Amino acid sequence: MRVPLNWLREYVDVQQTPEQLAERLTLLGMEVKGIEQWGADWRSVVVGELLTVEKHPYADRLHLVTVSVGAGEPLRIVCGANNIALGQRVPVALPGAVLPGDRRIERSEKMGIASEGMLCSGNELHITSDAEGILILPPTTPLGARLSDIYGDFVLDVDVKPNRGDALCLIGLAREVAADGGAAIRWPEIVVDESDGPIGDRLRVEVQDPQLCTRFVGRWVEGVTIGPSPDWVQMRLQAAGLRPVNNVVDASNYVMLELGKPTHTFDGAAVHAGTIIVRRAFTGERLETLDHVVRELTPDTLVIADPKGPIAIAGVMGGAESEIAESTTQIAIESAIFDPVNIRRTGHRYALQSEASLRFEKGQEFRLARIGADRVAQLTLAWSGGSCARGAVDTAPGQPDPLRVAFRPARVSRLLGAEVTTADQRDLLGRVGIATQIAPPGTTVRVASEPMPLVVDPGPDEVVVATVPTWRRDLEIEADVAEEVARVGGYETTPAHLPDTRMPAYRPSPIRVRNTVRETLAGAGLTEVVTHALVAPGDEARLQWPLDDEATKESSGSMPIVVTNPLAGQHSVLRRNLIGSLLDVLAVNEHQGRHDVAVFEIGKGYARTGDLAREWTRLGILLTGSSRPPAWNRESVSYDLDDGKGIVELLCQRLNLPAPTYAPDPRGFPFHPGRALVAEAASELDALVGRVAELHPDTLEAWDLKSGRVIVAELAIRSLDGVTQRRVHVEPIGRFPVVERDLAVIVSEGRPAAEVDAVIRRYAGRLLVGHRLFDLYRGAPLAADEKSLAYRMAFGVDDRTLTEEEADAALAGIRAALEAELGARIRS
Amino acid sequence: MDFESLSADLRSLQERALKEISAALDPASLEALQIGYLGKKGELTAVLRGIGALPAEDRPRVGAIANEVGEVVRGALAVRSSQLRAQVQALRLAAETVDVTLPGRPLARGALHPIPETIEAIAEVFGQFGFVIYEGPDVEEDLTNFQMLNIAPDHPARDLWATLYVDIPGHLLRTHTSPGQIRVMQSTVPPIRALLPGRCFRYEAVDASHGFEFFQVEGLMVDEGTSMADLKGLLDEFAHALFGPRKTRFRPGYYPFTEPSVAFDVECVVCGGVGCPACSRSGWMTILGAGMVHPVVLQYGGVDPERYQGFAFGMGVERIANLRHAVPDLRHYLENDLRFLEQFR
Repeated sequence: MRVPLNWLREYVDVQQTPEQLAERLTLLGMEVKGIEQWGADWRSVVVGELLTVEKHPYADRLHLVTVSVGAGEPLRIVCGANNIALGQRVPVALPGAVLPGDRRIERSEKMGIASEGMLCSGNELHITSDAEGILILPPTTPLGARLSDIYGDFVLDVDVKPNRGDALCLIGLAREVAADGGAAIRWPEIVVDESDGPIGDRLRVEVQDPQLCTRFVGRWVEGVTIGPSPDWVQMRLQAAGLRPVNNVVDASNYVMLELGKPTHTFDGAAVHAGTIIVRRAFTGERLETLDHVVRELTPDTLVIADPKGPIAIAGVMGGAESEIAESTTQIAIESAIFDPVNIRRTGHRYALQSEASLRFEKGQEFRLARIGADRVAQLTLAWSGGSCARGAVDTAPGQPDPLRVAFRPARVSRLLGAEVTTADQRDLLGRVGIATQIAPPGTTVRVASEPMPLVVDPGPDEVVVATVPTWRRDLEIEADVAEEVARVGGYETTPAHLPDTRMPAYRPSPIRVRNTVRETLAGAGLTEVVTHALVAPGDEARLQWPLDDEATKESSGSMPIVVTNPLAGQHSVLRRNLIGSLLDVLAVNEHQGRHDVAVFEIGKGYARTGDLAREWTRLGILLTGSSRPPAWNRESVSYDLDDGKGIVELLCQRLNLPAPTYAPDPRGFPFHPGRALVAEAASELDALVGRVAELHPDTLEAWDLKSGRVIVAELAIRSLDGVTQRRVHVEPIGRFPVVERDLAVIVSEGRPAAEVDAVIRRYAGRLLVGHRLFDLYRGAPLAADEKSLAYRMAFGVDDRTLTEEEADAALAGIRAALEAELGARIRS
Repeated sequence: MDFESLSADLRSLQERALKEISAALDPASLEALQIGYLGKKGELTAVLRGIGALPAEDRPRVGAIANEVGEVVRGALAVRSSQLRAQVQALRLAAETVDVTLPGRPLARGALHPIPETIEAIAEVFGQFGFVIYEGPDVEEDLTNFQMLNIAPDHPARDLWATLYVDIPGHLLRTHTSPGQIRVMQSTVPPIRALLPGRCFRYEAVDASHGFEFFQVEGLMVDEGTSMADLKGLLDEFAHALFGPRKTRFRPGYYPFTEPSVAFDVECVVCGGVGCPACSRSGWMTILGAGMVHPVVLQYGGVDPERYQGFAFGMGVERIANLRHAVPDLRHYLENDLRFLEQFR
């Protein structure tokens, strides 16, 4: 809410500077987001007096004036307005002035005559809404004074929290200022001159749904003249951020900002039979609202109607037909209390949120219904003339009992962790108008409110009862009182100390394994990314990442989760894989001319099966371009599938998993048909499964990527989602040397290395302590469809040095098996 | 042959050998000299062979001289040999000189993203005070995200959280990490000290300080007598750990799920409190919201509000990271331009 300081001063004395006031309000919970210097853009606009006003010699519709601005020679200015006359005081923008909207005023030629500045309209200065004529200032305005010195102000931008609807007005904020400094607040004097006949002759009100409209106060004014409001009123509304409309609508808006009471004014002639009916809309009823949209109404909507039909959506927006117009002579004033929830729902239903509905949905002070109606009538008479009917229609003139909240001062102290005496608590509450008294015996204490109420018998504890001021709607339970005590007392007085209470039990961190993986991959040269979980709906189809097999169990048989109210189409579906996001990262960096990209993300995938939402954590990897930092002393090597596998193997080591096994995935798109695999590794505690693949060139094309080979992997690692106690079991270190033998196995090109490896493992016997592939050879003297896999085998036993003969015998067994099982030839 | 001429021969042989040894320029010629003088067919050996022709009384004397000559030559050979080895090595090393000022051979090192790193930094501080990590789902229920947090379906405060809904009835993308409070309380009993990091979503247009996806860390502590003073003490430690010895303050705030509610401000990290554009000239920067857990929320968590009380706080990870690393625009985090990320190596 925008609070012009000079307007606020009408209701409370403010001794502090704007900055000090802002800090005090902030510390009271009325956070001041900013202080605007209202009128700062009237620099070089001064008060002038018109010395001469003549027709422009060459242009019929222009005037040529001379204007004194106090000191110096009078200025000659060309002006197009028609409301000017000799002797008037007017705002003069001097050459060099910059007006609102960054409009620069310079000495200029206008139809052959030099103009030394500009006379300003209220609209040009953003001070009133009048764009037709020059702003005519009161004759007592000091000549030559800067306009900002006269009308300038400080406007505080106050963030009023949703529970403090009572502070969404000047009186409400004046109360807070008063609570802080101990000053009194000044209510405006509200007196209505009722010179017309009884209201009963003019207006009848029937509330058919008293649940949704708990009170309706109506007033009637005859003989008004519609026109602009006084300039000072327009200036205040402008400074507070509301556009002036006319003297009647402005009166209603003025009261809303002043008292926090939204009201509505109807053209009396449009209220058929002088009868207002407050009811739910009938199905199929329509209303053209003030914004000239015809709206289909539903029975959930409360309307203000006359016998012919709706004339307003209650509390949200008026109807166009009953709008105050220039021809209006009689007005009906509505000042009602509506059900906050119904107003909120209605505002959402029609996507209409107004200053009025924002206040209604936070709840209204009951007594303001009458006060607001009277104040609008008073200001209407003052600004628009006319005469007011005697009395008001009031459907609920009584006063409800004030709310009372019992609290235990000891509990308040316990909650705050500070000893505040009962006397001090009562004193602090008194400063914000909360009266207190010692509770009678048997008073219970409300500890929790709806929807989980809890009322307790305080036993022997001291209990105090607070009487909630009529305007406050945020004080219901004991803790609310504690907040009031803390807030008014100031949090700077709350002590600070470290907890000395019990510690919780040990709980292993669920992000520890993720951190291990992150650090390992960063050490291997990969950079971590964090991407959006919401992706474009077409991304899945574009990528066709497989969802249907053992590597991606989580997503099989599932549907993506779709946002029903997305902000933007490209972020409306929760992703089921990370690879699309990583391709987006590649695209962003390619766009920056970056072609060496090695990134990973540990992120979630999401899906639903029926109405069951599921989430899982995966590791996504993307590699392309140079696999090593470019250097003058090394050849550049590009990432390929083996690097992807190497990273998987490194992770398996780090996570204490066995070496992964690889199975080819020849599906083709989105993968290179000959360079895709499923990797798997499992231990008792953990498991890794996922795909490692080079992407198909068509996939890169679909994502508009220029990179050559792009390697991706998406791995499900059980411990990423939870906790694994990683523990190394140390094997005894052999004390005796091993005997090494090399074995070159010639097989056909189509034979996977994994099969050779499996045979070696199966027939190794107990003596083989390790083997590794150290060479892969193709070419002479091998046949064209042959390859040679060379392994270095290490044989040994724990308790002695193996003899050469024993090693050879073990090797011979493996040779024989390879020949028999795989038809391999062995080259020695 | 007599003694005199023989010993003179030996002396001249020694002289000649020493001269030739010192003139040798490589190990090969040195070896040739060794063989030429001391080998089986060498000159010294030849001389010694002539000893037999001498009278018996002269033989020991000549032998002694011959041995002495032999020792001298052998010694000279050894000295010259090590000299030559040193020379050769020095030459080789000199030839191997490199420009040591050239850059080294770089090892690959990736960067860690500032969001998880900031979460880790936050967890490290609170971990020291016994806070343990829990995690909740991103796809939440309206019940846990709002209703159990004391935000009824038509509560005006719902405007504080512009919500993205999904096509599962009663579900939405969590707008904050606060539903984790309910989940933790329902899954354990006091004493509770919990930290809940996670991704959040809001219906919010993207600009330098807003995004529709962002990260938060929630904190929850519940026990008998856990108070606002405990909260203040802990948050001071946290602020000092992350931002150094700066002034802090509590000011009243509003959340439906805490009562009382506060905002926690730290002296502006840019201007140090004098007021600048970064802090809207207030000298303060808000780093999180907090408060005492509302009794309604405690009850939904299965905790008796008469016996227990507690506090909760929630902070934006990007906000903390912005302040720590002087990041000017929140969009950097999810854009993943490597020129940004690699600064966090």
